[in-house]
Amino acid sequence: MGEDRSFRDLLRGYSFIAPLVAILLAFVFVPVVGTCIDSLYREVTFLPRAFIGLGNYQSLASDPGFRQSLRFTVLFVLASVPLELVLGLSFALLLHRPSPARGALRACVLIPWAVPAAVSGKVFELICNFQYGLANYLVQRIGLTDGPVNWLGSTGGAFFALVAGDVWKTAPFVAILFLAGLSAIPEDLYRQAAVDRAGPVQRFARITLPLLRPVFVVALLFRTIDALRVFDLVFVLTRGGPGGSTTSLSLYGYDAFTGGDFGYGSAVSVVLFLIAFTLSVAYVRIGRFGRELS
Amino acid sequence: MNGERRIGMLHLAGAVAMTIFCLGPIVYMALTAMSHRPDFLAPGAGFAFTAAHFLEVLRTESLHFPEYFRNSLVVSGFSAAFSVSVAAPAAYAVTRLAIPGRVAVLFAVLAVSMFPQVSLVSYLFKLMSAMGWINTYAALVLPYTAWILPLSLWILTSYFSRVPRDIDRAALVDGCGPLEALWKVIVPVAAPGIFSTALLAFIFAFNELLFALMLTTDHRARTIPAGIALFEGLHGETPWGAVMAAATLTVVPVVALTLVFQRRIIQGLTRGAVKE
Amino acid sequence: MRSRAFSLALCAVSAFLACVAATPPSRAGTVTFAVGGAPAEFAYWERVVRKFEGKTGIRVELLRQPTDTGLRRQGLTVPLQARISSPDVFLMDVAWLAQFAASGWLEPLSPHLGKEGCAGKEAFFLRMIDTVDTYEGGVVALPVYVDGGLLYYRKDLLGKYGLPGPPRTWDELLRYSETVQRGERRSRPGFYAFAWQGAQYEGLVCDFLEFAGPTGGFRVENGEVTVDTPQNRKALRFMRDLIGKYGVSPPNTYTEMREEEVRSFFQEGYALFERNWPYAWPLHEGRDSPVRGKTGIAALPGWSQGEGAACLGGWHAGISRFSDAKPESVKFLCYLTSYETQRDLALHLGWNPGRRDVYAAPELLAKNPHLPALRAVFENARPRPLLPYYSRLSEILQRHLSAALAGTSTPEEALSAAGREMQAVVTRYR
Repeated sequence: MGEDRSFRDLLRGYSFIAPLVAILLAFVFVPVVGTCIDSLYREVTFLPRAFIGLGNYQSLASDPGFRQSLRFTVLFVLASVPLELVLGLSFALLLHRPSPARGALRACVLIPWAVPAAVSGKVFELICNFQYGLANYLVQRIGLTDGPVNWLGSTGGAFFALVAGDVWKTAPFVAILFLAGLSAIPEDLYRQAAVDRAGPVQRFARITLPLLRPVFVVALLFRTIDALRVFDLVFVLTRGGPGGSTTSLSLYGYDAFTGGDFGYGSAVSVVLFLIAFTLSVAYVRIGRFGRELS
Repeated sequence: MNGERRIGMLHLAGAVAMTIFCLGPIVYMALTAMSHRPDFLAPGAGFAFTAAHFLEVLRTESLHFPEYFRNSLVVSGFSAAFSVSVAAPAAYAVTRLAIPGRVAVLFAVLAVSMFPQVSLVSYLFKLMSAMGWINTYAALVLPYTAWILPLSLWILTSYFSRVPRDIDRAALVDGCGPLEALWKVIVPVAAPGIFSTALLAFIFAFNELLFALMLTTDHRARTIPAGIALFEGLHGETPWGAVMAAATLTVVPVVALTLVFQRRIIQGLTRGAVKE
Repeated sequence: MRSRAFSLALCAVSAFLACVAATPPSRAGTVTFAVGGAPAEFAYWERVVRKFEGKTGIRVELLRQPTDTGLRRQGLTVPLQARISSPDVFLMDVAWLAQFAASGWLEPLSPHLGKEGCAGKEAFFLRMIDTVDTYEGGVVALPVYVDGGLLYYRKDLLGKYGLPGPPRTWDELLRYSETVQRGERRSRPGFYAFAWQGAQYEGLVCDFLEFAGPTGGFRVENGEVTVDTPQNRKALRFMRDLIGKYGVSPPNTYTEMREEEVRSFFQEGYALFERNWPYAWPLHEGRDSPVRGKTGIAALPGWSQGEGAACLGGWHAGISRFSDAKPESVKFLCYLTSYETQRDLALHLGWNPGRRDVYAAPELLAKNPHLPALRAVFENARPRPLLPYYSRLSEILQRHLSAALAGTSTPEEALSAAGREMQAVVTRYR
């Protein structure tokens, strides 16, 4: 009788999870597997579908456009993630301190996160406008340069604009994570440190930073993977230009799809997927390892 | 004490700088939308208020802006509702029912959230084409629901795990089935958390771009982010006043939601990201 | 309990079905026409559509697309790949028409030409129809407006320095440029005699093909790519030297110069010669233009007399194979290419119609006396290679041409590397 019930409970338990699993299978797992399979085919709109094994990957390896987008994506991650983490931590420290305006400040800081990336992309495109954008206005007013800077017309300028746009939008999210981490640090530790005559900098370095480490790891990995798969901002702000020099891997795959080459685009997506998957596995491992440590 | 005061000043300066940083571009966007000419910063030009751009965006039929808005609201609403409805029982099972493999489910779902969208979109496109659903709401609602599920599951799990077991245990003892316990007991208690989850799900769905670009083709199902991204290409003069007016209108609902529910959103994001 | 779960499931399914059905449907029998979104162009199409609706009673819905050609192509390939019925009629850039045709997306038009008020093939530029608009023996698109590269020149400057007329060969162009630039530099330090599109984009390939002439350019025959030829090397070397060695073209030619940059450079009076599309003419003759009344148009020079080649551009209209309103779409397409509509296109937008006979219209000749010269250019304009994967080849070529212009590789290296990469693409798509 007892076994019967526990088997029924098990079934019922699984039935609670079943819809979730079904939807994820149908609209996430199957598409990913399907894309992997597609990447082994030559699939273009003007030719019949043909199996070519690793042919697409071979073409990828010798494709300067792909190498360029890989290089851009990696550089983008390396440039924006540290900035986001540092800025996010600074915001969190500012938001953590009790003040009458705390609620209003938090709302302010959330706004960049809430705005669609398509919108922030357009706004930054206007800010970087050569003739009358805000960036050139400020930069010339302050006296940093003599003439207007062609932000979006040069690779360096466009890269800078993209990093700025991404940091603007995602530092809030990082700030919130750090804020939660800061709130979890017990006050007693600080009080004890004050008794021990430790200055603010020492308190920060000895107490805050080490205890924020788990949050830091979470933020680092979330942001790295998000930066790897960046699409919205690049599509709207630079369209991958000038000359394809700011094309992220996602955009490169997307351009292949809308150009009609599904096989090639699938291969690009698979490469990106493998990179993201490797990192997420690493995350799970580090997460478990971290848990064992503490 | 001097050190503390100095920190106080630093804090004030930092808070001001942070506010300018976060709100600056938004204010610039709104100003350009209301300005007679987009180059109002240039010497000689001035700022003259006008509502013409807003009227143009809302009234010009060929821009289809109100339709994009409608589509976005419908698609995001459905996706958030479905996502929460599917994640809630699963969260209940993970936190209450001792089934083997529930931790694995949580982690598998977390891994899924890290998949790049571009790795799904081509197959989704083929699938939706085959079903004839391209450019319908279904083409977006289903992928969005799946896409938001990991986030919903994690946040709901976190909220449900804080609901004391005794409450639903009492209900179960009274003869309720687990589904009833979920519906009658847990949901009311965790209602704020469920609301936060739905809110976050709505915002994520509202802001999505890649799926919208590839799975919809015109104003019948296209959402606002896609509409704004495709608002006049690069060749020739971009009508910045109109673009910024469209952007401002887009931003109003999400900003309003954020301002009003700021505490809930932060709570939800925190719960979802910082695992216990 | 079970009934509750069942009713829940029923709820979910019906909610989902409501979701699918909720999308507003398209009306049958309506022709959806996808066009670019520049305001003047769009206003013109609205006029055309209203006239058509008044004449035939068939409803036409305009679908506004972005102005950028890449985004326009995307906006068409997605619905066509998904085989949905909207848009029914659309405009295609000559550069990607071949891909659309080869992908089986275009409804054959040959059965309809010459019948029921529809123009026959002879009304259009024959060479264009037979090369660009024909696929596997049948016509699949009709030219709505055409473009070809032109040489603009400053009549007053040529006169000032005693030069007879527009140059007929590249060597002549170089000599005239050096003469005039030497003189004009004294009063205008920023003067560069010859402005052309050298930035890394599709326009660069067009300009290159024009510099290379009819014997140059790149060909794909029997799966073999030919691009590294002596003629092409000569052309690329010439392009590079125009900027560097001779210094008659501005230094930002290969970084920034596209259509609009070149046009404003010439219009502000800083150049003697300009290579651009016909659209620049009405702008140069505009009321506030500093070069108003001083500009002339000529065919592009060649390496020997009479051997110039203009790159063919323009937009053609086609009907979607998956359209659900084909008879109506055919009528609309015929209306688009009718004499009256094409003449109005020229009158209102200043664009050059795809129909030959319109070029002799008296109202047009009064406004644009050089129309016959333009027609001659279009008769001989050469299309870029008509391959479905042309845009991939173009991307490769652009990159290498740009590297040669920037000096980071020699013309020989650039062309041979381009040839290798293009060959890899061709082999992949064989």
